[in-house]
Amino acid sequence: MRAAIAILKKDLRMEFRSKESILAMWIFSLLIFVIFNFTFEVSRLIMLEIAPGLLWVAFIFSGMFGLNHSFAIEKENGNLRAMALMPVDGGQIYLGKFLSVTIMMLLFELLIFPIFIIFYDLQLSLEMLLLIPVVLAGTIGFTSLGTILSAVAVHTRNQQILLSLLLWPLVSPIVIWSVNLTGMVLAGEVATSFYPLLIRVGAFDVIFFTFAYLLFDFILED
Amino acid sequence: MATPALQLAKVSKDFGRIIALRNIDLTIQSGEVVSILGRNGAGKTTLLNIISGVAKPSSGKVLLFGTDPSDKLNKAKLAIISHEMFLYGNLTALENLEYYGSIYNIPDPGQRIANVLADVELTHRRFDLVATFSRGMTQRLTIARALLHEPSLLLLDEPFTGLDQHAIGMLLTLLNQQKKLGKTILLTTHDLHTAKELSERYIVLDKHGIIHDGSMKETTPDEIRKKYFSTIAAEQVA
Amino acid sequence: MKRIIDKTLLIVLLIAFLTSLYLVFNWVPQIKASNTAEQIAQKIFYFHVPSAWLGFLAFFIVFIASVGYLVTRKRQWELVSVASAEIGVLFVSLVLITGPIWAKPVWGIWWTWDARLTSSLILWLIYVAYLMLRRYLPDGSKRANLSAVVGIIGFIDVPIVYYSIRWWETQHPKAVMASGDGSLAAPMFFTFMFSLATFTLLYVYLLRKRYQLLVLEDTLNKQFKEMEIL
Repeated sequence: MRAAIAILKKDLRMEFRSKESILAMWIFSLLIFVIFNFTFEVSRLIMLEIAPGLLWVAFIFSGMFGLNHSFAIEKENGNLRAMALMPVDGGQIYLGKFLSVTIMMLLFELLIFPIFIIFYDLQLSLEMLLLIPVVLAGTIGFTSLGTILSAVAVHTRNQQILLSLLLWPLVSPIVIWSVNLTGMVLAGEVATSFYPLLIRVGAFDVIFFTFAYLLFDFILED
Repeated sequence: MATPALQLAKVSKDFGRIIALRNIDLTIQSGEVVSILGRNGAGKTTLLNIISGVAKPSSGKVLLFGTDPSDKLNKAKLAIISHEMFLYGNLTALENLEYYGSIYNIPDPGQRIANVLADVELTHRRFDLVATFSRGMTQRLTIARALLHEPSLLLLDEPFTGLDQHAIGMLLTLLNQQKKLGKTILLTTHDLHTAKELSERYIVLDKHGIIHDGSMKETTPDEIRKKYFSTIAAEQVA
Repeated sequence: MKRIIDKTLLIVLLIAFLTSLYLVFNWVPQIKASNTAEQIAQKIFYFHVPSAWLGFLAFFIVFIASVGYLVTRKRQWELVSVASAEIGVLFVSLVLITGPIWAKPVWGIWWTWDARLTSSLILWLIYVAYLMLRRYLPDGSKRANLSAVVGIIGFIDVPIVYYSIRWWETQHPKAVMASGDGSLAAPMFFTFMFSLATFTLLYVYLLRKRYQLLVLEDTLNKQFKEMEIL
């Protein structure tokens, strides 16, 4: 745990040191909403129907930003090799990286959500609190797979494209379910299928995380 | 007899179409300083990777302090200095060392970090971002980082290339200190004079195998150069 | 020995393919359909479904070989997994091509974002990404490690992908083997099984050949290297 926390602290310190990139990311997600508004000139009713998907598109872009960055900084001065040399389990290194990426993504989501509420003129209600577990489960699924695949993709020259190629198909079930769950909450129609689906996302989070944790040693090895 | 620091028996690394090392037999006793000479691509880096447990040999046996190199206890005893700095530009010198201090779980980190910073004469710049450091300063910090957890085995991959005179002098002093402390040091280099200054033993690596294993005392850099002219980096001879 | 096995396999394959073509086009009774186009289109089922099955089999072998590689670190396992992934992508490509050919006369459209179609496309994308990754990495044990990890994660994801999209309403014909209520007439069933066996044999043959080729490439490259050394 000590090593994971050291990595987490180091990562967050570096992220917050470059506040410009956090700001840039926030404005970028704002742009996503604006662009979608132009490209799909549809009535407000339809807009509301695609809103959950839009929200997740913004979330995913913010997540990709963090994931691409996470291992790029490790590659810079050969720090990936330093990680391979550390006297700790690969899983611990994965955990540290996973935590920092997840915290950053959740932070972005927290920044994006108010814009979303304003742009789509949604009514805040107590029921919206249900979005918290939904976003948490979806985000953890995305980052648990994303962290290990980012560590894979960073070894190539085209790491950004390759990470998208690898991650998006693999994470599509989690995203599909998250959009679905978000839609239910936003529409105020939390059906009986809501909780089983949420639990299912959580279960797959656990599966992805466990496999990534166990396999991370092989990624560091030469 | 004490367990040797390092034992390699019939170690080969050959994967698919790539042949990196074949049939390496090498024993290095604790406290020895050994230079590994050979041209680029002779397998020096692969050898260091295998010793440090980062790469697995395809056949043969490697023992580091009597156990497997990928053993966590072994990894804690090991440090590498190479052209890769293992530092984060966006962190200060102090933060970098604190980070490695907690990863390696060193006792009394505050004091230890202050000591190594003083050793490389960077105490006055400890609150500055590494990105703002000059090349020489970054390299000195690299040395501090490597010595931070008091490793028993130092692997140096071309440690002198690109260093300025000041840093070379500092590294030599520090390495001689480590030698006196009884630490084992393995270095790959093209610089035969420095190699002779530091080490008693040298091995020549070529065609992915060890072609010579000799004592530095009985020879001069010029003799080594003459004998293995073709194998030891021609670019350094000029 | 290898030669003999390959030759025999090839001859058996040829006979089996000719037989299954005969069975599909001349022997099995026509289905009842509104027009001949649909009747002919239906024949594609005997190629479409076996291709899908082989895609899964191939990706399962990728998974097994990836685990095998990580346990043993033997090049052979890596070569099996890449050979199987290539063949798997080929067969799923066939699924994605034959599907629309059938859909156009029957549904009137080439493609729809239907559950079965979408999940097949995602499956295809996963393994194309796997092959792309290998293209981008230089040969060596690092590449072998990374692609084995992706080979394992990719296969764990396969059932999840299918599961996730299942609640979508599907226009896709029900999986015949799963229904088990005899919805397939006996001659159809026989023809289908024959075609399935033929395709599986094709997979075995292709895998052997591709693997041998990869080994040959390695040997050749190694001989070049040796010549450089000496």
